[in-house]
Amino acid sequence: MNSKQPSAPAPHPRPSRRSYALLAVGVTCVTAAELLFKRGATATAGAADATALFGFSILTSGWTWLGIAAYISASAAWINVLRQMPLHIAFSMMSADQALVPLCAWALLGETISPRRWCGIGLVIVGVYVIARPASHREVKP
Amino acid sequence: MSTVLLLALIASQLCLVSGELLMKRAMDLTNATPIPWRRFIPRFLSAIACMSGWFFLWGGILQRADLSFVYPFEGLSPILVMLGAAIFLKEKLTLRTWIGIALISAGVALVSAS
Repeated sequence: MNSKQPSAPAPHPRPSRRSYALLAVGVTCVTAAELLFKRGATATAGAADATALFGFSILTSGWTWLGIAAYISASAAWINVLRQMPLHIAFSMMSADQALVPLCAWALLGETISPRRWCGIGLVIVGVYVIARPASHREVKP
Repeated sequence: MSTVLLLALIASQLCLVSGELLMKRAMDLTNATPIPWRRFIPRFLSAIACMSGWFFLWGGILQRADLSFVYPFEGLSPILVMLGAAIFLKEKLTLRTWIGIALISAGVALVSAS
């Protein structure tokens, strides 16, 4: 029954719509988690030891725990995405949050974004689109 | 940027990438019936351990810098994960994927230079 040529790597099976929906849930939850972690970190910044590599005192803020809840939801979605989707496709689409997080930090946390940074955010969005589009529209070859 | 911040950023990237590669290996096993738990559990747990290391390093980084300044350094991770997936998981990368990575890297460089 095994007609595969040993030298050619097997093509990735086409990920289902459910995988893409789960990926969207994951991106949203990760963005929320990062913003909540930053609120938690800001709230606990006074307690931070300037020489410590790890920021354990971040755990004393309720915002951090909300962030952890969002991150757990994102992780649950993410590991289900990984069952079907190649890691490099899924992870690069997940990097939509590279643009979403600064945008939300600007809109919700009042952080400033320079014109150059806006251009960078634009490029990240285009890059994610280039990677995502062929993956979602690829025809299955017989 | 302080040395501590730079070290934490490098260490967090290493933790994140190895965590993702291990998690992909683990979740691939769940498509088999029956699920080979003896092979799944060590991969899954070591992935969780790597990601926990990433979480606390990231917390320490956020206590020292603005989110919109340090987040772009996380943008290196798609490139590192893609290289890792190609080398260790033998995933096939297309030309479009590489163009996409180049655009993301250029965007990340612009964001972090500003």
